[in-house]
Amino acid sequence: MLAQPPLDVVVVGGGTAGWMTAAALAKLLPRACNVHLVESEEIGIVGVGEATLPHIRGFNEKLGIDEAEFMARTRATFKLGIQFENWARVGDCYVHPFGTFGRGQGEVGFHQYWLRMMHDGHLVAELDDYSLACTMARQGRFSLPSQDPREISSTFNYAYQFDATLFAPFLRSIAEQLGVRRTEGRIVNVELDGESGNIAAVELQNGERIAGDLFVDCSGFVALLIGKALEEPFQDWSKWLPCDRAVAMPCRTETAVTPYTSAIAMDAGWRWRIPLQHRTGNGYVHSSSFIAEQDAMDALVAAVEGEPLVDPRVLRFKAGRRERSWVKNCVAIGLSGGFLEPLESTSIYLIQQAITALVELFPEKEIAPSDRDEFNRLVDLEYDRVRDFLILHYHATERSDTPFWDYVRTMEIPDSLAEKLELFRRRGRVVKYREGAFLEASWVAVYLGQRVFPEGHDMRADLPKSDALAGGMEQLKTEIRQTVHAMPDHLGMIARYCPMAA
Amino acid sequence: MSTRAISSVAIVGGGIVAWSAAAAIRRQLPAIRVTVIPVPVPADALADRIGCTLPSIGDFHGDLGLTEADTVVRAGSGFRLGTSFEGWSGEGSRFTHSYGEYGRPLAASAFYHHWLRAHRLDEAAPFDQYSAGAVMASADRFLPSERGPASRIAGYAYGLHVDPNRYTEMMRAFALHLGAEERSGSVRDLRIREDGFVDAILLGDDDLRADLFVDASGPQALLFSKVEDDREDWSAYFVADRLAIADEPATTEPSPLDHARAASNGWAWEASSPARKSRGRVYSSAHLDDAQNDLIGYGEPVSLRPGRLSHPWVRNCVAIGDAAVAIEPLDWTNLHLAHSAIDRLVAMMPATDCNPVELWDYNRQMNVEVDRVRDFVMLHYVASYRPDDPFWQDASSRPLPASLEHTLLQWNERGRLPFYEEETFSRDSWAAVLIGQGAIPRRLDPLLNSVPEKESARAMEQLRNAIQSAVAQAPPQSIYLRNLALQGTR
Repeated sequence: MLAQPPLDVVVVGGGTAGWMTAAALAKLLPRACNVHLVESEEIGIVGVGEATLPHIRGFNEKLGIDEAEFMARTRATFKLGIQFENWARVGDCYVHPFGTFGRGQGEVGFHQYWLRMMHDGHLVAELDDYSLACTMARQGRFSLPSQDPREISSTFNYAYQFDATLFAPFLRSIAEQLGVRRTEGRIVNVELDGESGNIAAVELQNGERIAGDLFVDCSGFVALLIGKALEEPFQDWSKWLPCDRAVAMPCRTETAVTPYTSAIAMDAGWRWRIPLQHRTGNGYVHSSSFIAEQDAMDALVAAVEGEPLVDPRVLRFKAGRRERSWVKNCVAIGLSGGFLEPLESTSIYLIQQAITALVELFPEKEIAPSDRDEFNRLVDLEYDRVRDFLILHYHATERSDTPFWDYVRTMEIPDSLAEKLELFRRRGRVVKYREGAFLEASWVAVYLGQRVFPEGHDMRADLPKSDALAGGMEQLKTEIRQTVHAMPDHLGMIARYCPMAA
Repeated sequence: MSTRAISSVAIVGGGIVAWSAAAAIRRQLPAIRVTVIPVPVPADALADRIGCTLPSIGDFHGDLGLTEADTVVRAGSGFRLGTSFEGWSGEGSRFTHSYGEYGRPLAASAFYHHWLRAHRLDEAAPFDQYSAGAVMASADRFLPSERGPASRIAGYAYGLHVDPNRYTEMMRAFALHLGAEERSGSVRDLRIREDGFVDAILLGDDDLRADLFVDASGPQALLFSKVEDDREDWSAYFVADRLAIADEPATTEPSPLDHARAASNGWAWEASSPARKSRGRVYSSAHLDDAQNDLIGYGEPVSLRPGRLSHPWVRNCVAIGDAAVAIEPLDWTNLHLAHSAIDRLVAMMPATDCNPVELWDYNRQMNVEVDRVRDFVMLHYVASYRPDDPFWQDASSRPLPASLEHTLLQWNERGRLPFYEEETFSRDSWAAVLIGQGAIPRRLDPLLNSVPEKESARAMEQLRNAIQSAVAQAPPQSIYLRNLALQGTR
């Protein structure tokens, strides 16, 4: 059989999703497709996706991106996790680390030994103190992880906090070098094929017509192709994730450039704080059913630490996803396919997973239904799992001090989450997946941080003698403290490794 | 009702499964008192009677702290690297299913994608030539992967071929050494509490009470059958319903390769360990009369009733081994599934209330794992090609479970092997069987485009040569076993 002629792929939209998709397709499938990206500079990009998950490092690696250059160009800082403040109770504070508790080895999770000591009535330190990533985050230190699994400094992973409005242009230069064609222009019409219902072409304001075999909708919330043209229904999850607005306002950094993102619970939602090299991103994600826009803006302005750099800007959204992300010859990637609030920095992760699935299932000109169905199955699985993880943060709270918190605390939750919660409550077990955004340590951190405390523990954790266990835990804590102490502080590391151009 | 930690477990069964469960619980949860009622092993308890095991047995031994001095030398076991499937795609066809890696990934694509492209150009050697385990098995040689020179080239794994009687004795002695107790008697009945929990097993003249009851008594399920009989039947998927075994003392050197040969009405195996030669026949009673010549020299045939319990753990009674799942021994999954059940039982030991959500998680994981094993075993039939034979026509045209249909659709279309949680067999194993039986995908992986054909061909050739020369340095299994025995006695 002859090799297939390359497919003409049209990417609509030039934000983070659009350029990530274009660059990845051009790099990984060079002879399978010709990529043409259409974007309009007047539309601008949402670009609040400033915080990421460690998976992005794999994406950058595949594209052959040099880390230090990427960080300098996007004015990035390192990210070891997310600090949650005031979530279960006002005054609470915990870190969801990108790393393990303990050494993360062995059959029995470290948290099980920790629980056993608690249940036995021993005095033990906070679980955070046994996590290298948490300790680094709290002390504001950073160095790159070790590759040697025997070393404690191999027990963490990291992501970036970066300026999303600089990431797309950075990717654009890579994509264009790889041969991606770019057309500037506003799309005024989507032409459907009468017989198949496929998208035949998009028409621009200047009359230009761009035809293709496969269309990737990266047009953001407007969902020009999958929503407006193909009318694929949207599954609304706002009964579980009622936040539907964000006010965003970057400011000058007055306090620390922390190697972590903060998520601070507010009266009707939560506020992000994302320190970059040149500024700090802030925003208040809230529910319009519980607070007026102006009040949210005022609350944000009152809460930010430094001089605002611009006026607050409002974003509107709805939590949920398309029933299907791939319909006919149109694949939705990014906000056109679904939206989950940035509480766990999953926006870019979800984009990346969709791109990976598209690359793995890249179709022929005549699209096989099995490719489309498999893509949709994979994307749905990712969305559904992230959804449950997000709901957990709201629902597992003791707060009833505002109507918003009272609602989320008492609302019905999906069965899939109710089972997970109950299982953890019993003896600290996490429903186990080998694949997915958040693995055991993440769930453990958030359950415990949200004050879901197990009644029992894994019986295997009873095996060691209690003084031997206490001694081992003490030793681990000391080793972590000493290791972190020897690390450079976060800003020092950045200054040496990846300073932005002055 | 108040709840507390489980402090006593009663196990019914006298074979490998029961004693392995007793040893694992005593070793890892020593606060629990374990009592075994060693009822005789019935002929149809395959996890107790089939000597061929998968590489997972090594992990199981590791968790128990058992070394090869115990499990191999003392128990008279041999090593096994894989199975040679013969005649499954017509007379004369053969391939080896071995464990571990088939080739190494190159650039963004799994090795089997490179192989499929080379195959299309007619430039590929048989797929199993790229597996160190398969090549070593065919050469009748053996070295463990961690020490073998081939491990640098392509990793492989091995299982054991145990002598069920000697192995059971070894495990029993080990469990007793760890403090398990043995209680003779036969199960007369159960005393069930008002809430449905088992209170005690009624033995000959007294009772045995416990917090948790483990049924390892084989398909008869002496305990579980009195608790729940909700079962998922697989007879729509599998044609074979009889099995006969012939075991003889060893007459030849033990081979790390066993054989599964397609026959006119089922299949036959042949495997050899230092102690014995084991043969078996799996067939369909509709296609072969039990008394036919084929079975001369075999033991009394037993019935196979393929299927699994809907919920292997109900309240305080859990079924493991053949009491929970019955499947023919193709690919030797019986004891593997029993080990998985024991591992989970230890890891998920609940409190005395056996909280439904904890049991739900156990049952969910077990069922997912068991169903994928069923898919893998069924794959051999579905992908078979023996068009002149009614048994095989029937076996290859059975309805497919949804998960197997999904895998086959993805594979046949584009060589994709979708990920399933709790999967026993790796993607390389799936590829080995699919390719070995001639299922070639319609399309090539587009990610191959970034690697020129010549480059993959060169890498494939290098790998094959490296495997050949590494295998040539490995000793025959008999020599390796002799050395192991000498080390053990020093």
